[in-house]
Amino acid sequence: MSNALKTRKPLIPPPVAAVMSAIVPGLGQLLSFRVRRGLLLLFSFVSIVGLFIWRLTILAHREVTFGDQFVKSFSRQPAFVIFICALVVALWVWIIVDAYKMAKGKKDKGAGIFALVLVLFFSLGWQISEINVYKMVKEFPEAWPPLSRILWPWEAAVTRDTSSVEAEAAILADDSVNPPAAPEYIEGKPYLKSTPTFGNMSTLDKKNLAVKGSVLHLEGSGFEPDTLTYIFWEDSIGNEFRPRQDGDYVSFVTDADGSFVFDLVMPYRLTPPSAVGQQIHHVHVRQTSDVGPLKASEPLKLTIVLMLETIFMGMMATFFGIILAIPLSFLAARNMMSGSWITMAIYWIIRTIFNITRSIEPMIWALIAVVWVGLGPFAGIIALTIHTIAALGKLYSESIESIDPGPIEAIQATGANKLQTIMFAVVPQMIPPFVSFTIYRWDINVRMSTVIGMVGGGGIGFLLVQYIRLLDYKSAGIAVWFIAVTVAILDYVSSKIREKFI
Amino acid sequence: MLEIRNLTKIYNDGTEALKNISFKVEDGEFLVIIGLSGSGKSTLLRCINRLIEPTEGEILWNGKDIAKADGKSLREARRQIGMIFQHFNLVKRSSVMTNILAGRLGYVKPSSSLLHHFPASDRKKAFEAMEMVGITDQAEKRADELSGGQQQRVGIARALMQDPLMILADEPVASLDPVLAHSILGYLDEINKKRDITIMCSLHYLDLVQQYSSRVIGLRDGNLVYEGSNAEIRRMTDGEFKEIYGEEAVRVNAGSLTGGIENE
Ligand SMILES: Nc1ncnc2c1ncn2[C@@H]1O[C@H](COP(=O)(O)OP(=O)(O)OP(=O)(O)O)[C@@H](O)[C@H]1O
Ligand SMILES: [Mg+2]
Repeated sequence: MSNALKTRKPLIPPPVAAVMSAIVPGLGQLLSFRVRRGLLLLFSFVSIVGLFIWRLTILAHREVTFGDQFVKSFSRQPAFVIFICALVVALWVWIIVDAYKMAKGKKDKGAGIFALVLVLFFSLGWQISEINVYKMVKEFPEAWPPLSRILWPWEAAVTRDTSSVEAEAAILADDSVNPPAAPEYIEGKPYLKSTPTFGNMSTLDKKNLAVKGSVLHLEGSGFEPDTLTYIFWEDSIGNEFRPRQDGDYVSFVTDADGSFVFDLVMPYRLTPPSAVGQQIHHVHVRQTSDVGPLKASEPLKLTIVLMLETIFMGMMATFFGIILAIPLSFLAARNMMSGSWITMAIYWIIRTIFNITRSIEPMIWALIAVVWVGLGPFAGIIALTIHTIAALGKLYSESIESIDPGPIEAIQATGANKLQTIMFAVVPQMIPPFVSFTIYRWDINVRMSTVIGMVGGGGIGFLLVQYIRLLDYKSAGIAVWFIAVTVAILDYVSSKIREKFI
Repeated sequence: MLEIRNLTKIYNDGTEALKNISFKVEDGEFLVIIGLSGSGKSTLLRCINRLIEPTEGEILWNGKDIAKADGKSLREARRQIGMIFQHFNLVKRSSVMTNILAGRLGYVKPSSSLLHHFPASDRKKAFEAMEMVGITDQAEKRADELSGGQQQRVGIARALMQDPLMILADEPVASLDPVLAHSILGYLDEINKKRDITIMCSLHYLDLVQQYSSRVIGLRDGNLVYEGSNAEIRRMTDGEFKEIYGEEAVRVNAGSLTGGIENE
C-alpha cells in the first residue's frame, strides 16, 4: 500500500503543488502522494499558528480585535512576536518549496523542515511555560540572603542560656505628692537610683506632636562592667515595654566598675481611664548575657523530633503496607490464580486496583487522608500505606509469578504437605525479592514522608513549610539539611542491604 | 512392585501425552525409559507420584492405586518413591544440609519441621547420605554454590533420605557432561544393587542405556512401542531403533560416550 503510494506519479505539476501548499500548507505534498509528510506539515503548521494566536490573546487579554491584540503583544514581548512570526513565515516558505520538490518526484526526504517545526514548538513552549532567565539572574542578589541562610543555617542550630542582672526603681507619674522613696541599697546587689522619683510622662499635644516628659537622672552600680545594658519601663498596671529615645531603644554600656549614669526622658504612655489614685511606674535596668555551654536551639530540637517522626511514619507505612500487600500479592499472581475463571476474575480485579492506586501519587492520597483523619502524621501514614500496598503488591506478585517451580515439585515429591512445601520451596525463593523490594519501598516511603507534610500529612515537611512561610530561612535550612542527610544515608544503607540479599 | 494399567494423560490444551499405557516394574529393576523429546517420558514419571494428575488409568504401587490416593495416603506413597530431576530442582538459596533434610519432610512432625527442626537421627542420616555420594564437606554451602555434578549428588542424597523403595529419575544426567553422567549413574547403579532400590530412569544416550539398564521401555508419541531386556537392547537392530526414535534418527556407536541420538 505505502509502496504503491510512493511509486505513484504526483497528481499535479510542481508549480501547482507550490501554489496549493501556499494556500493550505501540506496540500501540495498530499497531492503528490506524500501523505504522511503532508498531513504532518499541515497539522504542525495549524497547531503552531493556533498556539501563537492563543498566546497573543493571553498577552493582550484586554484587547478585543486581533489587530489590537497583535500590536499590544508586540509592545509587551517584541522579541517573542518577531521571532515566531519570522519562523512561521520561514516555515510557510519552506513548505511551499518542499511541495514543489515533492511534486517533482524527489526521492530524498529532507528532515530539515521538521527541525524547524521542532524549533517553533520549543520556542512557543518556552513562552507558554513562562521561562524567564533574565529575571532569574537579575533577582539572584535578592534571593541570595535567604538562600545562603538555607545553605548554611548552623548558627541557628545552637543557642546559649542567658542570665540577667537587673535593678528597678519606682517612679510617680504626673504628680509630685508623696513620691516613692529610693530603693534600699544592699551591698553586692545591683542598685538603681532615680532623681527625682516623680515627673511627667511624655504626652502628645493637640496636633499629635510629642511633648517630652520630665528627665530622670538614673545612677546605678553593682552591674556587670563594660556590658550593653537596656532600660525597660513598666507602667502602673504592670505592662513592660522598651522605651525609645530619638527613635532607638534606650541602651548604654556600663563603665569598668559596673556603674553608670543616664538621663532618661519619661516615655509616652496612655494612662488607662480606669486608673485612680497614685500612678506608680517602675524603671528597670537590665543586662542579659549568654552564659553556659552551647545548646541545641529550638528549631534544631524540633527538626530532630520531626525527622524521627518522619522516619517512623515511613516505617509504619511500610509495615502496614507489607502486611496487607503479602496476602493480596498472592491473589494478584497469575500462577497462583490460574485455577478457574473465578480466581482469574479476582486476579484481574486486584491487578487493576493495584494499577490505579499506584498511579495516584502519595501526595494526592495525603490530601484525601487529611480530609478523612485530619492533619498530622496519621494522615501521612494512611496515604503512604495505600500507595505502598499497591506498589509492593505489584512487585511481590511479579516475583511470585517468577518463582522456579522445580523445587516445589521436588519438595512435593518427598511427601511433604502444602505448608511444608511453601516453607521449604516457596519461602526461600521469595525472601530475596521480598527483602529487596521492601527495603526499596521503605526508602521511598521515608523520602515521600519528608514532603508529605507539605500537604498536612505530618513529619518534617510540615515544619519546613511553616518555617518558609514565617520567612525563618535558617530554621528551614536546618530541616532541609536533615532531610538531605537522612535521605542520603538511607539510600546508602538500603542499597547495601539489598546487595546482601540478591 | 509397580504396575501401570491403561494410563492416559491428556493435558488441558488437548495434548495427548500418554495413550493407554500399561507395564510392570518388578522390585529391584533398573528400568530405563527411552524415547524422543516430547514422547511423554517426563509425563509418565510425574504421573507415577502424581506431580501430574493422570487423566485415566491405574497406578498400582504394592497393591494400592496411587491414582486414587488422596491427602495422607498420597503423601505416604510419595515418600516411598524418591525423585531426581534433570535440573536438580534444589532450593538454591538453602544450604546443602537443608536440601537433604527436606527428604525427611514426609516423615517428621509437620509443625516442628516448619521451623527447620529435625531430629538428631535425621541429621545423622543426612551425613550418611552425603558420605554415600561424597559431598560431606559441602554440607553448609548454599546449594547454588555447587557444581552441576555436586548438585545432582545432593538430589540423590535427598531422595535417599526418604528411605525409598523406588527412585524416579527424569533425565538425571542430561545437563551434565559425559564423565559426570557416568559418575551419577554409577551412584544410581550402586543404590540399585546394594540397597535393592528399584530405579526408573529416562535416559537419552544409548550407550548409557545399554550399560546401566536391566530393562528398557520405549515411548513414541505417548504410546509404549518397545519393551526389552538389557540383552535385547544390546542386540537392538536399526529397524527397532528407528521404530522408537523415528526414521531420521541415526544410531551411533554403542561404545562412544559422546554420541547420542542425533535428532535431539
Ligand atoms: N503442561 C503441559 N501442558 C500441555 N502440554 C504439555 C505439558 N507438558 C508437556 N506437554 C506435552 O506433552 C507431550 C509430552 O511431553 P513430555 O515433557 O512428557 O515429553 P518428554 O518425553 O519428557 O520430552 P523431553 O525429552 O523433551 O523431556 C509433549 O507433546 C508436550 O508438548
Ligand atoms: Mg522430559
